[in-house]
Amino acid sequence: MTDDLFAAMRQSVIDGDSAAAAELATRALAAGVDPLAAIDEGYVPGINHVGEQFRCGEMYLPDMMLAARAMQKGIGILEPEMLARSARRRVLGRVVIGTAKGDIHEIGKNLVAMMLTASGFEVHDLGVDVAPERFVEKVREVDANVVGVSALLTTTMIGQRAVIAALVEAGLRDRVKVIVGGAPVTRAWADEIGADGYGEDAVGAVTVTRALVGA
Amino acid sequence: MRYTARFLSESDRERVHEASLRILAETGVRFHGERALALLADVGAQVDTEAGIARIPRSVVEAALATAPRSFILGARNPAHDYALPSPVTRYAIDGTAAFAIDFETGERRYGTRRDSEQALRVFGAADMGVMAWAPVTASDAPAGTRALHEFVGMVRASSRHGQHELHTREQVPYLAEALRVAGGGADAVRERHPWSLIYCPVAPLVHDGPMLDAYLDLGALDLPVMIMPMPVAGSTGPAGLFANVTLANAEALSAIVVYQLAHPGRPVIYSSATGSLDFRSGAFLGGTPEMAIMSAALVTMGRFYGLPATAAGCTSDAPGPGPQAVIEKLVTMLPPASAGADIVVGFGEIQGDQALVLEQILVDNELAHYVERLVEGIGEPADPDFVAEIAGVGPGGNFLASRVTRRAARSSEFLVPTLIGRHAYEAWRDLGSPSMYGQAREKVREILAGPFVDPIPDAVEAELARILAAADADLG
Repeated sequence: MTDDLFAAMRQSVIDGDSAAAAELATRALAAGVDPLAAIDEGYVPGINHVGEQFRCGEMYLPDMMLAARAMQKGIGILEPEMLARSARRRVLGRVVIGTAKGDIHEIGKNLVAMMLTASGFEVHDLGVDVAPERFVEKVREVDANVVGVSALLTTTMIGQRAVIAALVEAGLRDRVKVIVGGAPVTRAWADEIGADGYGEDAVGAVTVTRALVGA
Repeated sequence: MRYTARFLSESDRERVHEASLRILAETGVRFHGERALALLADVGAQVDTEAGIARIPRSVVEAALATAPRSFILGARNPAHDYALPSPVTRYAIDGTAAFAIDFETGERRYGTRRDSEQALRVFGAADMGVMAWAPVTASDAPAGTRALHEFVGMVRASSRHGQHELHTREQVPYLAEALRVAGGGADAVRERHPWSLIYCPVAPLVHDGPMLDAYLDLGALDLPVMIMPMPVAGSTGPAGLFANVTLANAEALSAIVVYQLAHPGRPVIYSSATGSLDFRSGAFLGGTPEMAIMSAALVTMGRFYGLPATAAGCTSDAPGPGPQAVIEKLVTMLPPASAGADIVVGFGEIQGDQALVLEQILVDNELAHYVERLVEGIGEPADPDFVAEIAGVGPGGNFLASRVTRRAARSSEFLVPTLIGRHAYEAWRDLGSPSMYGQAREKVREILAGPFVDPIPDAVEAELARILAAADADLG
């Protein structure tokens, strides 16, 4: 029966069905299934399948996004039980991501956040117009090892430098890899401000992040 | 007969309009900033101040559309370049504001500078299909806090055509206002002649940037026209369907028109758009596609539905470099909005999704614009009303080479003569060194930049503008 449940959880992610993923998580809890097992044997195989299909051109970004959202929904239901058991998910990394101070554009950042989730990262999205101090706070709070800063304008791009400076000042710079992106951002700019990586598009951002954490 | 293509049937226009009104009334629009929500609340919009969302009823939209002017003139620093809206023809703006310039000499892609904008606008000055200047690139060499001011004033200096740019904060307003009064001969002259206007882009879906909107409301005191350019991207910031994305863009445009008219009834507004779609594999923005062209044209149609001056993005390309891909994409994205009757299509000179300026592309695009204009001009009245008699005179098996009508035609506008595209037989072309359209454009760019500065502003005005910018840098930079 647990195998059937895990198979259904896997399929709910492949189908991008958030409601089904949530309902199955509730059933798993009611059946006393270990939440980490539910994630690792239910949702993760589903997201891995979607990732493979995406890489070979059979599935598209919207498939990835829906799958990631379904998985997040299911994990959200399982989280309280995980906390109660002091269990922590195995993830490739813990990411804090946001758009730089003064910038309210977020579609690129949202794409990257979802793609990272779909790729096995735990992602904490701070939203838009994020002050450097908030990045620092969140890094401490969730013990992040990756920080992503997005900017769409040349005038707000300088906020990416400010985030790195804030991490240095807080003594956290060595604990995190910083990746930057956005339309006006280049590899040269990323190097200039001391970022660890740069994503020219969402898919590239995930590849770079995985490389930075050695995944 | 100048042909007008139909991209939305009459009933579709009504459907877009009604669906837009539903979106505004039911979903609502988020307004950041200090002024818009209060203006909307005063006229009966349902405002949730905590969420920053206003639900705008039909009556408010209809009232705003009633006060928006149907026609006005986009003045220019040189009055010979004034451009009346609506226009019986389609003309073009230079594109902007790209982050990058492709260096003319080295081909390197680097961040744009004030000099790049000045050079681009000088080249644009030679593009006879161009009527409106934008700031082509961001002034990365200006302080971030005053960058938009440097870009705006740089455009005023370098182009004597109607100029349009943006401002980012209310703190920048007094400096821009002073600069435009100085350059325009006083506040009254600026209000009457409208030599400069503002480009305003809501943030899709359904969000308005607070500092920018507040600044633009302040600039209502100078009656600066506002070109409202929603930019939803089908599949990411807009719904993944052309009809639905057009509707969202239309709703956003209406929401902006409402706020501008509430603040200053009768302030000139221009209906516009710059949509695109999502690359479903990479997540990238795509602007050089047939879908974007169709949405542009449909939105021009909606602007006309409201009786407003209507412009749109077009001549856009995602090409990584100048060449065949750029030409295909630009042509594909120019023809539909032009054939829908756009007053202005934006714009010349950029590729990589409007992110990289290429100087020679400005002139190539001007050439493409001539082709497009000739296409939409269609077939006019016969130059010789008695053509049946001419045919009879030539008779079966004859030819028309030595006819007076043919002689007149060789000099008429009925047959387009391109400027950059040479018409050579193959071996003659080889003997000439295999000239290309881009090669010809590059030579012309060199000629323009080596020549005199056209329509410079007077030294006294230049000195004042420099003083204003220095003051802004000191206070805000």
